[in-house]
Amino acid sequence: MSNDTHILPETRSWRDIPQQVRPRAMSGEGRRRMAMGGVRVAIGAAVIAGVAWGAWGITAVLRDNPSAMPEAAKTDRVRSLVLVTDGVLDKVWLAKTLSIPPDSTLMGLDLNQLRLKVLSDSQVASAAIARNFPDALTVRISERSPVARMMAQADGAAPKMLLVSRDGVAFAGTGFDPAMVETLPWIDGIKITRVGTSLAPIEGMKAVSDLLASAKLEAENLYRTWQVISLARLSADGEIEIHTRDGMKIIFGTKEDYLRQIARLDLLVDASSDPTRPLREVNLALGAQVPVSYGKAAPMLDGQPASALNASSTRPQIVFPSISKPQIGIHL
Amino acid sequence: MSSKTSFIGAVEIGTSKVTVLIGEYTGREIVIIGCGECPSRGVIKGSVVDYRAATECTHSALEIAERDANERIDCVYLAQTGGHLEGFYNEASLNVKAADNMIELGDIRTVCDLAKAKELPLGRMVVHNIRRPFRVDGRLVPTSPENLVGQKLEVGYWTVHGQEQRLADNIHVIRGFNLEVRELVLSSLASGHMVTSLEERQNGVLAIDIGAGTTDYVLYRNGAPHTTGVVAVGGGHFTNDISIGLRLTEGQAEKLKLRFGRATVQSRDKNEKVWLDGNFSIGDRQFSRQAIESITSARAWELLEVVKKKLGHSFSPESCAGGVVLTGGGAKLPALAECASNVFGTCARLGEAPSWVNENVRDPGFHTALGILYYGVSVQSDRAASARRKGGFLHNVARLFAST
Repeated sequence: MSNDTHILPETRSWRDIPQQVRPRAMSGEGRRRMAMGGVRVAIGAAVIAGVAWGAWGITAVLRDNPSAMPEAAKTDRVRSLVLVTDGVLDKVWLAKTLSIPPDSTLMGLDLNQLRLKVLSDSQVASAAIARNFPDALTVRISERSPVARMMAQADGAAPKMLLVSRDGVAFAGTGFDPAMVETLPWIDGIKITRVGTSLAPIEGMKAVSDLLASAKLEAENLYRTWQVISLARLSADGEIEIHTRDGMKIIFGTKEDYLRQIARLDLLVDASSDPTRPLREVNLALGAQVPVSYGKAAPMLDGQPASALNASSTRPQIVFPSISKPQIGIHL
Repeated sequence: MSSKTSFIGAVEIGTSKVTVLIGEYTGREIVIIGCGECPSRGVIKGSVVDYRAATECTHSALEIAERDANERIDCVYLAQTGGHLEGFYNEASLNVKAADNMIELGDIRTVCDLAKAKELPLGRMVVHNIRRPFRVDGRLVPTSPENLVGQKLEVGYWTVHGQEQRLADNIHVIRGFNLEVRELVLSSLASGHMVTSLEERQNGVLAIDIGAGTTDYVLYRNGAPHTTGVVAVGGGHFTNDISIGLRLTEGQAEKLKLRFGRATVQSRDKNEKVWLDGNFSIGDRQFSRQAIESITSARAWELLEVVKKKLGHSFSPESCAGGVVLTGGGAKLPALAECASNVFGTCARLGEAPSWVNENVRDPGFHTALGILYYGVSVQSDRAASARRKGGFLHNVARLFAST
C-alpha cells in the first residue's frame, strides 16, 4: 500500500473556534477599539483614493499640458487620423468634419474643439479624441443607427431625407447602404423644433422603435409592407398608425404588448386572404376586440390586381412643407 | 523605529490575578515595555465562570498594560490552563519510501500526520501537539531526520486537548477587547520554559507551576516536553484548608498562610503561638504555629504526591537529572523545594526568571506571562526565518552565488 493514501481522522483544533463576538458581548473599550479600527480603515482607504486621484490628475495635466512636452513632440505634425467606430462613418467623413489644416502639429490641436466638431453631426452619439504620439490623432465614436426616415425641407431649400434613431434624433445618414435605407418606413404626424443648428429629438420614438423592432424580429413579412408610420395620435391616444404599401391602415396601441398585437395582426392577415375582400383597416389598440374593415378589390388586369402591376399608384402622395422657426411641421 | 519592530502581548487569566505583559520585539531582542495586573474575578480553577466579571478584570489589565507601554496591540498570546485539559500520547511509524532509504520531507510529514491523527471525544479540541524526538531504526534523532538513512521512521506526539466551551470562553474574553488571540499556550509549557535551562531540559527536569486554582506541570526529556498535565489544586486550597481547620475567614486564613505557612513542619513546640494580626486590635487571636505548618505541609505534600502519581512511570529520579523546579505564586510557600525533594526523591529548587528580565516582573507569579512572551518571540522569529528562507528568485540566485 502506498504511504500517500492515508485517510486520517479529522481532529478539531482550538483554531476552529470562531473568534468573532457580538458587539454586545464586548466591553465599552472593545467597542471603541473596534470603531476606531473601522475609522482607521476608512481613513486609510480615503487617503489611498486621494493619492490615486491626485496621481491621475497630475498625469492628466502633464499629458495635456503642451509646456510639459518635449520640443520634438510639439513640432510633430499630424500625419494620420485613426477612426474607431461601431458604425458606418469612414475616414473621409472624419477628415472632412475635422478639417485639420495640413501644417497642424499634434500638440497644437484643441481636442475639445475637435470633439465638438465631431459631435455636431447628429449621427455621432458620443466621441473621444486622443493624441497618439508621435503623429496620430485617434477618434473613437459611437454612432446612432436609424429605425425610420423622414423628409424635411428648410426654408427655400430642397427637401432632404433624414434618418431617425431610436432616441428620436434626426440625422443625415452618411455612409448607410441605400438599399437598407429603402427598407426603413417613413415617419409622419410629428412636430419637431429646431434647437440651435440642429433639430430637437422627436418625442415618442422609443415606442415606435420598440414596435418596429418587434415587427422586424417576429413578423418580417408584415414589417416589409409598412410604409408610413404616423405618430399624430401617439401622445393624445397612445396609438401608432401604420399605412402599408397596399393601402391598409393598422392601428397599434402602446399600452398592450406589441408582440401580442403583431400576433393578432398576423392571424388576421392570414385569415383574410380573400383577394375580393382586402383588409382596409385593423385597429389593434382596443385589446382582444379587433375592429376590422374590408374594402373593395382592385380591378383585375390580365388576372393580376392593378395594385400589383402599378405599386406606385397605391403610394400616398407626399407633400413637404417648408421649415420655419421655431417649429417645423413635417407631413408625409 | 525599525520596520521590523513588533509588539507582542501575553495574557494569563489566572484564578487570583490577570497578568498582561507587552514586549517590544526588535528582531534580535525583546524588551518588556508594559505590564498590567488586576485581581481576577469570575475565574475558578482557570476557567471562566462569570463572563462579565472576567471580561472586566481582563480588560482592565489590558488597558493598564497598554497605557504602561504607550502602545496599542492587535493580537495576544494567551495562557491556557484548567482542570479540563488532558493529554495523551500517540505514536506512529513509517517505512521509509525511498529505495536508498534516505528519509525525505514527505516521509517526515506523513509520519507526523499519522501520529497527530487521533479522534477526540465529542466537544474536545486540540490545544497543543507536542512532538517528541524522532527515532530512526530506534536511534534517537533530536532534530529533523531529513536526509538521514534508515528503514523505519518513528515519532510520537503528546497531544493536549481541552473542552471546547471553556477554550471558547477564554478566547471570547480577549476578543471582547477587539484583540485577536494569535496562539493558545499551555501555562505549564510557558512557565516551564522560562525557569529551566536548555541543559536541564536535555537531562530531564520537571517544572511545576503552582497557581491559585490549578497546578500545571511539564516533564522535559531529551530537550523536549515529554508529558504535561494540570491538577485542579492550587494555592487557594492551602488557604481553604487553614480557613476550615482554624475556623477563620478566607482573608484571615490567607494572611496566616502568607506569614506562617510552610511546606514542612519546622516548629517542634506545640505551644508556640502566633498572632492573627499582631497589632493588638480587637478580635486578634493566637494560633499554634505548628498547627498552621501542619495544615499547609500536609496539603503541599498531597499536591506534589498527586503530581507524581499523575506522572506515573514517565517520571523517575534517574531520568530526571535536572530535578524539580517550582514556580508560580504558590511556590513562594517556604520549604516547598525541600518538600518536593522529599516527594520526588530528587533535587528541587525554586525557579528563577532569566537575568534579562526586569526586576519588577521577576516574581514567580509572572513566569507564565514571561514564558508566553518568550513563546511569542519564538513564533515571530520562526515566521521571519521561514519568510527569509522562501525569499525570491533573485534572492535564491544570490545565495547560490554566495555559496559558490
